[in-house]
Amino acid sequence: MKRLTAYGFLMLLLLSGCGAQLSPDEAQESIQVIAMDTAMLITTYGERSPAAAYACEDTIRDLEKKLSRTDPDSEVSRLNNAGTLEDSESELRSILIQAGQYCQKTGGAFDITVAPVVAAWGFAGGDGYRVPSQKELDRLLELVDGFAVKGNGQTLSLGPGQSIDLGAIAKGYAADKLVGVFQEYEVPRGLAQLGGNVLAYGDRPDGTPWRVGIQDPAKPDDQNAFAGVLELTDAFAVTSGGYQRYFEENGKRYHHIIDPATGYPADSGLTSVTVAAGISDGSGAMCDALSTALFIMGEEKALDLWRHWDGTPFELVLVTEDGRVVVTEGLADRFTPDESGGYAYETVS
Amino acid sequence: MPMRPSPKLRPTAWDALVVLCVAALAIGLAVFQWRGGTQESLTAVVSVDGEEIDRVSLERAAGKRTYQAGAYTLTVEYAAGSARVLSSDCPTQDCVHTGIITRSGQSIVCLPARIIIRLEGGAAKDGGVDAVLG
Repeated sequence: MKRLTAYGFLMLLLLSGCGAQLSPDEAQESIQVIAMDTAMLITTYGERSPAAAYACEDTIRDLEKKLSRTDPDSEVSRLNNAGTLEDSESELRSILIQAGQYCQKTGGAFDITVAPVVAAWGFAGGDGYRVPSQKELDRLLELVDGFAVKGNGQTLSLGPGQSIDLGAIAKGYAADKLVGVFQEYEVPRGLAQLGGNVLAYGDRPDGTPWRVGIQDPAKPDDQNAFAGVLELTDAFAVTSGGYQRYFEENGKRYHHIIDPATGYPADSGLTSVTVAAGISDGSGAMCDALSTALFIMGEEKALDLWRHWDGTPFELVLVTEDGRVVVTEGLADRFTPDESGGYAYETVS
Repeated sequence: MPMRPSPKLRPTAWDALVVLCVAALAIGLAVFQWRGGTQESLTAVVSVDGEEIDRVSLERAAGKRTYQAGAYTLTVEYAAGSARVLSSDCPTQDCVHTGIITRSGQSIVCLPARIIIRLEGGAAKDGGVDAVLG
């Protein structure tokens, strides 16, 4: 009996001590990074989680240094200023190639040469927002042509007077790079939130999928209001909407997603577009680029593109101005509606 | 040389007391660890460029506080269980548009001022989300 009691005490002591030892799943590191004109939160798990998290930050800082439009020494600034750039590194070239493909596949709705128009509205940072005159927009729209961006041999070049902004694809490209960092540091699971981009790597520590809420565009100032919740494992998801970055002038609201065809904020009947895809080479950049493009294109064209897409598969959640949430069939069993929003939910195939 | 038999040991009341103390300590530690260690109350952590500059418990209303970073000034209102940017002279006003945050993990970001107000601690999320798109 005494021996049993002694074993009992020993077990209790061991159990209390075990709790202080972190298992690989409990070992985690979270870091916040302000970069690429947004706030990022990266959480990594595993024994090498601190090193992995800081390697992620280094990767993002390195990309920002190359791709920033406001850093005069970045590759993008040098390309914008000179119109040509001897391509010493392949990173910018790789992004430009992808950007060109999405420009072509979306009929120009995704276009990195819309930068001067975006800047005219004040959405590229600087001295605040303003409504440009139609004359100014007409002049700037002549410069918008994504097909004029070329990569000949080692030289990257823009059309005369053009400049580019990679803000609608760079965060997705960064998310693609973070997958490589996670793999290098043997991170079993992690979650990276890069502005409106989410990388859900692996699953949650309890073995269930990551739960990712889609902000209700009708209630942008209520962070507990969702159009629905996605359950994601090894996936990217990106949302674009005009409800957070905007300004009002003379009672009219102007948001930051500019239609390259008109020079004005997109007015397609959608209030948000979420694009989700499994992790594969380049799918983060794809989700990022398509979320912007499909927001501009509107529901009908977006679904048409989804139905006839010949690249890496993706799925959609579209929130419409007339109070509907349209979910493509591949996501239907991973999407939970939030009935409190008052939306009508539809699944399309 | 014959060994002397060891004296017969009889537990005393003091032994029982020591045993009880060890048992209580062990049980207490085990329960503490199983419940996830210390449970910090909901707290707003304010950082500028990644460096923490303020930490406000939201167990009860803490009123308004003003932060200056770069060329900008933000006034943050801390109520019991929530925080929001009441006003900011930043050009974008995105921080003001974010509205009220109430749950651990939520944050308000002012990019021009490079300020992040993030909620930590509080009760475990029940049916909540790990991340928000949008």
